[in-house]
Amino acid sequence: MRQIITNEWRLLLRNKILLRLCIGFLLVFVLAIFLSSKQYQKQIASYKIAKDELREQWESIDSMNPHSAAHYGTYVFKPTNVLTNLDEGVNRVTGNVLRVEGHVQNEMVHSEASQMTSISKFGKLKASLLLQYIVPLLLIFLSFSSVNSEREQGRLKILLLQSPNLPKLMMSKALAIWLFGILLLSFTVLIYTLLNLKSFSSDIVYRLVLFMISYSLYYFIVVGLTVFLTARFKNATLALTSMIGIWILWTVFVPNIIMSSVEKWHPLPSRNEFKTAMQEDRSKGIDGHNPKDERGKALEEKILAEYKVDSLSQLPINFDGIRMQEDEEYGNIVWDKHFGNLSEVLQKQKKKVQLFGVFSPLISLQNSSMGYAGNDNLHHQLFLRQVEDYRRVFIKELNDEHAYGGSKTGDWGWKAKNEFFRSIKDFNYKNTNLNSVWNYYIMDNIFLVLWSIATVGLILFGTKRMDIV
Amino acid sequence: MITLNEVSKSFKGNKAIDNLSLNIVEGEILGLLGANGAGKSTTINMLLGFITPDSGQIRISDIDVISNSETARKLVGYIPENVNLYPHLSGIENLDYFCRIANLKYTKSELKEFLNTCGLETKAHKQKVSSYSKGMRQKVGIAIAFAKKAKVLLLDEPASGLDPLASNELSMLLKSLASSGTTILMASHDIFRVREVCHRIGILKNGILVKELNSKDVSANELEALYLKYMQN
Repeated sequence: MRQIITNEWRLLLRNKILLRLCIGFLLVFVLAIFLSSKQYQKQIASYKIAKDELREQWESIDSMNPHSAAHYGTYVFKPTNVLTNLDEGVNRVTGNVLRVEGHVQNEMVHSEASQMTSISKFGKLKASLLLQYIVPLLLIFLSFSSVNSEREQGRLKILLLQSPNLPKLMMSKALAIWLFGILLLSFTVLIYTLLNLKSFSSDIVYRLVLFMISYSLYYFIVVGLTVFLTARFKNATLALTSMIGIWILWTVFVPNIIMSSVEKWHPLPSRNEFKTAMQEDRSKGIDGHNPKDERGKALEEKILAEYKVDSLSQLPINFDGIRMQEDEEYGNIVWDKHFGNLSEVLQKQKKKVQLFGVFSPLISLQNSSMGYAGNDNLHHQLFLRQVEDYRRVFIKELNDEHAYGGSKTGDWGWKAKNEFFRSIKDFNYKNTNLNSVWNYYIMDNIFLVLWSIATVGLILFGTKRMDIV
Repeated sequence: MITLNEVSKSFKGNKAIDNLSLNIVEGEILGLLGANGAGKSTTINMLLGFITPDSGQIRISDIDVISNSETARKLVGYIPENVNLYPHLSGIENLDYFCRIANLKYTKSELKEFLNTCGLETKAHKQKVSSYSKGMRQKVGIAIAFAKKAKVLLLDEPASGLDPLASNELSMLLKSLASSGTTILMASHDIFRVREVCHRIGILKNGILVKELNSKDVSANELEALYLKYMQN
């Protein structure tokens, strides 16, 4: 087996056309990664500048009414993951900036995607475009050529006289071409690592290893299937057409079929529907029986009783701040309900999409690739959760200052001092550790492994009766 | 060494081989003459175990080729009409590779010796096969069988397209192999070459062995006349 693999490599390296093609290919890879890295560094730098500037603006507020400050708000930035250079995932549609403001939660999962009705718009790719679409295509042609040339040139008979085990011969060829794919992948990852070494952490390394394993499995599936089909079909054109057909099916048809089916099975509300439902729940009450004005009245009575006074003007505190916080907390319950529903729908959609890995290993690869790169919808939702948690603390601090900072009810001209604004902490994004979300990608990994096992089976048992003559 | 007993093979209802029986003893060269489509290549492919006959028995050195083709192939060397080796490798690299996949490990000097024995000039050993003539590639092909110590050599139109010198070299080489005990079956159109090289000659027509004779018993002209007579009938 080692001899056949070595020979395949020797042939690949001595084929000048192929060698030039590979060099060109690698240069494109280097260029793609280099440009991505540059863009990443530029993005990081501009985020830092913007973040610092916003913080400076916030801290330089000399004096302002806390409620005005709540509407003044701030922006939070989702730190770009270093693995974005390899797979941008959903970031292109979700964006990395969110506004944090009083009363206003991020009503939809993401801004731009909210204009879309389907998650099919997700996952447009970067360097992953080359790794997911172009490298497999190259591997298909190499695998086909490797097997077909043996038959067409009549070498297959001589090979089988020397080494009579046909499945072993086919497996060796598949492994040789697969290793070529691994070389391209490793080269990409190596260049990427060298360019981004400073940003590496143990979690990134862990993610990168799993990222590589997923791609390695997918490449084996593509190569193995091509070898199998080329061996089985005596008609070379039919063999190549079949494999290209499978590739088109996996890359074009299956994803579109899946996305439209999943969207029908588990529809997401449109931005308007979502917004209207939120507003309705907030004003009329979640159950429709405790409208906003009634809730406000009950709160007023409760506070008056608590302070043992008859009117708001007698209160030593500013009731407006308490009312606003109460409204905010009710809004949080409404948001949790709707965000929870939305998450549930997205989870159901994701699971259904993952199940389609049975038909297309590319689906499993794309899911795990985006996931391991930390740029899938799950990671984005975790980011949104962190932003919302921060927003709640941020607004509560402002409302509390409004209520207990020294002003009286109706005193909208009262202003908090600079020290107060400085004391409010900035948003700090905590990276999602892969260990905590790994289980979300188990199904994708299982499908990739199952596809690989099936491919091994096809080569070992399906090529036994190959038509030699 | 090679036995075909009442072997028949049809493709989509057309009889390619009809009740063919042949026996070739050790060290003997049998030439199969016949027009295109006579069944020569089918016979060789059945001996290689790549085509299974519909009926009859095929044995190579007492091994049943039909039920045990992988074992039988270990004894066989095969030279097709065009020996297409790996063009990006040299002659010696090709030989080395084909030996290694058969688990035969030879030193460089041993490999060179095989190539020399098969008539490939030393200066050509390291040249890429893409620059080889057909005759040179055939010599490497025979060297592969020779290095494998094949007891049986099957040749399918080996002299086709060779220049007279290369063709003559091939004849000499085959005779030399036969004298050292290799059993050879050679399918060809080339009446004169077959007459010159082979001990016995069989004429195939539409899958039927219409004539079998010793080459000593006929002159080249007589063989040609006989061949044409069978082809015209």
